[in-house]
This record gives sequence, C-alpha cells and structure tokens, in this order.
Amino acid sequence: MLKKRILIVDDDKSQLSTTRALLELAGYEIKVHDTPFRTMEIIHTWQPHLVLLDINMPGLAGDRLCSLIRSNRRINTMVLLHSSNDENSLRLAVEEHGADGYVCKGDIAGLRRKVGELLLS
Amino acid sequence: MSLTAIAIESTQVGELISSRDEISPQLRVEAVVDQFFLARKLEALAIVEDHHVLGLALRGKIFATLFRRFGFELYGRSPILEIVDRTPLIVKASESLDATLEKAMKRSLADIYDEIVIVDDDDRYLGLLSVKGMVLAQGDALSQSLMQRELALSKAKEMQKVSEIKSDFIAHVTHELRSPTNVILGAAELMQLMVKEGNHAEMERYLGLLTIGAVNMRAIITNILDLSKIEAGKMEILAGPFELRDLLQEVAEMTRILLGGRAVTVVVEAEPRIFVADFVKVRQILVNLASNAAKFTEEGTISLGCEAVVDGIVLSVRDSGIGVRPEDLEKLFAAFSQVESAKTRQHQGTGLGLTISRQLVQLLGGTITVESTFGHGSTFKVFLPGNPTPQHPKD
Repeated sequence: MLKKRILIVDDDKSQLSTTRALLELAGYEIKVHDTPFRTMEIIHTWQPHLVLLDINMPGLAGDRLCSLIRSNRRINTMVLLHSSNDENSLRLAVEEHGADGYVCKGDIAGLRRKVGELLLS
Repeated sequence: MSLTAIAIESTQVGELISSRDEISPQLRVEAVVDQFFLARKLEALAIVEDHHVLGLALRGKIFATLFRRFGFELYGRSPILEIVDRTPLIVKASESLDATLEKAMKRSLADIYDEIVIVDDDDRYLGLLSVKGMVLAQGDALSQSLMQRELALSKAKEMQKVSEIKSDFIAHVTHELRSPTNVILGAAELMQLMVKEGNHAEMERYLGLLTIGAVNMRAIITNILDLSKIEAGKMEILAGPFELRDLLQEVAEMTRILLGGRAVTVVVEAEPRIFVADFVKVRQILVNLASNAAKFTEEGTISLGCEAVVDGIVLSVRDSGIGVRPEDLEKLFAAFSQVESAKTRQHQGTGLGLTISRQLVQLLGGTITVESTFGHGSTFKVFLPGNPTPQHPKD
C-alpha cells in the first residue's frame, strides 16, 4: 500500500526536523516546508493527504493560510494546526479557519493519534 | 462638588490675581518657550492685544505640543496664538471666589488646573488667577479631595498598565519557553526510538537537537532572571581579570552548536588579552549577540572580534545574516520588539536578548552600537571601558 503523504509547514527548523522524523517513523511519507509562502504550490503538485500547519510564522500566519487552503475548491487535503499557542485559541482557530483539528506542539502521543485518526478515515 | 465648607464666599477674585504678565499674539512660539525656560515658576502667560485677551499660553500644554515628534519644527516659528487655548475661562474681577472656583472645577479634568483670566467690567485684561496655586495654598478640603482623587485615579491607571505589561510579558515568555521545550521533548522521544533500534548515527543527531533546545532554553531563562534583577536594582558587578580570547572561543563554540548543520563558519579574531571586568556579564552580552547572529544567519560567516582602543576594548559580533532595515534599527533594543507582531514574527526568541545586552553594557559603563545592511548582515559593537593588557606567551 502506498504511504500517506503529509506536508509539514513550520518556520522553526528544529521543530520541523523532529516532527518529520517522528512521523516518518510512524510510516508516513513526509515533505517539509519552512515558510508559509509557496505552500499552495506544493499542495497542488504533491497533493498531500494532510497538511500539518504551524501558526506563528513570518509573513503569513498558519491559520490564515488554512483559510486560503479551504477557500480553494480544487484542494481537498486535510489540515491540522500544530502550534504552541494556548489550547483555547487553537480550538477557536480550528472553528474560525475550517481546519480539521489541532495538535499542541510537544504532545507527541497526541500528534500520532490525531494524524492516525485523520488519515485512517 | 459643594464649596460651602470653605470660607471664601466673600472674597472677590480680583484680590487674588497671581500674575499680570502678558504677551503679544504675534510673538513667536520659540520666544515664548524661552520665557518659560528662563522663569521656571512661570506657568501661564495671557495673550493680550489692546487690553483684550485673545488666548492663554500654558507651560504644560505648550511643552506637550512642542515635544511631540517634530513639534518644534512645525510650530517653533509660528505666532504663539496659533497653538494656544483661545477660549480660556474668563471671569470678572468682581466675581466671588466660590462662584469662580465652581466654574473652574466644572472644566474637563485636563483643563481643571489651567489659570483663570481676570478682566474688569469692560473686559479689559487685569491678570491671571492660579487655580493650582490657590488650591495648593489653601490646603483645604477641596484641594485635598480633588488632588487625592486625581492621584488615586492616576495611580490606579498606572497599576493597571504595569499589570498589563506584566501579563503580556509572562504570556510572551511562557510561549517562547515552549518552543525549545517541544524540541527537547521531540528529540528525547526520537532518541528513545533510536536506542531501541540501536541506530547510533541518528541518536547522535537527536542528541545535537536536544542540546540546541537546552542551550536556547537556558539563554531565555538567564535573560529573564537578569531582566528581573536589573529592574529590581539588584544587579551587582563583580569585576575580576579574565582572558578575552578564551571567552570569545567559548562563545564561538556555543554559536556552532546553535547553528546545527548550517553552512556558517564561526571565527574568532582576537589577540590574547587580559581584561578586568565582570566576566559573567561580559559573557552574557556576547552570548546574546552571538545567539542572535546564529538565529539570523543561514550561510556565510559569524565573526567574533576584540580590539583594544584608547580607554577600553571593543568587542564585536559580525554576521552575514539577514540584516536589519534602517527604519527598524532604533527599535532593535526595545523589549520584545523583534520588529514584527507575534503571530507572524520572523524568528523564535523572546526578543529580550538585545534589551538585556544593552542594559548590561550600560551597567558596565559601556556602549553598544549596531551597523547593518539589510540583506547582507549586521555588526554589533560593544565598547567597555578598562585597560586591556596583552598577554605574553609564558616562558
């Protein structure tokens, strides 16, 4: 069976490399991108099943980027917000920007579980 | 507010005139400012033409206007009448003091202490009545309660502001501490997995990441502690001799760790020199500047230098990083400035490093400066007073 594809967008390179390794070990195919810009392009060409999106990023915040992804009808990838912002604000951001959920950075078990749940369905 | 308790009903305001100074409406703002500067007790000047009052120049308000950005350039050469209150409270000399005070106190809080213009029955200028002076001199119930109210009000506002700044600060700092914590957690988890697999090469890589997280975290914590010590005035200086090049080598080593695998060369350009200063603080300054350089440099060189000058030394940290826009240079040393808002902020970190570095440099009697070309890198220079002595090789 083909591996499910996950695109991780985060401007923090250390975070990017740990998240990548963790999800690769969990059996996913991973691409990382360290700026919000040109994310749409990668989604178009690589067609990931899931985008794991950091929120606090230079130039364009991840939650706004999520709205952009959602507003594009040709894209039906799932979006999971991944941030160290406080949990309540993440809950609100999920509602406001139409994400499929959120994971708190640092919650590794939660990351595996939520990614697994979304990609299984 | 009732004024009946004060035995002033019978007094006429004409008897209480505190100054009779006047100026012409054509007088330039800069000349009026000179008058206020020369006479420190002078609070107000009536603007009078043909015995008629056209306006009131008040020390506080004029200074407030001029010391705003470009205030002096904009108004300095204008006639004074252009920037003053043209509708001051004007009262006939025959009016009773309590009626006048009632009128004065009905003004908005910002104007409440403004001088009152006293005129005769033909509206000709007689002089000014100082509400402030009167209130202070009388020291009565009125002044007490009014001033207390105002004091309490401004104190409450100040407390509110301080508490807002504090909670902002705490929110900011805890958020920033989460980044390295998460990296440490992730790296630790990966280490465990690699231990199970016996994959040593990967273990070493994650150990590196773990160290970066811990170094970052320690820097943030040290900075927070330093800031609170500086603010509480509890920062002591413990001077002692140390070797500058050794210190730069140590900081260079830390910088290399922070850079991870990036293609950046870290070099030290310094002669061995003994310098007497507070070692811990000098190191903290250099660590802050160097971690900044590491944060903003993707490729090229970071160079740590030290140069002896006439009455001290100049330490420098030069990078080939992203640089700073000229308009952002002055904001650089303000706490949390990082120039952009939190959500779209360019880089991790509390933005405290430079603020603290500057405070530490000042504490040591030195100065810190920055030169930067946007897109090409920055150079931070720290001058510290003292007498560096070259260290000769031991025989």
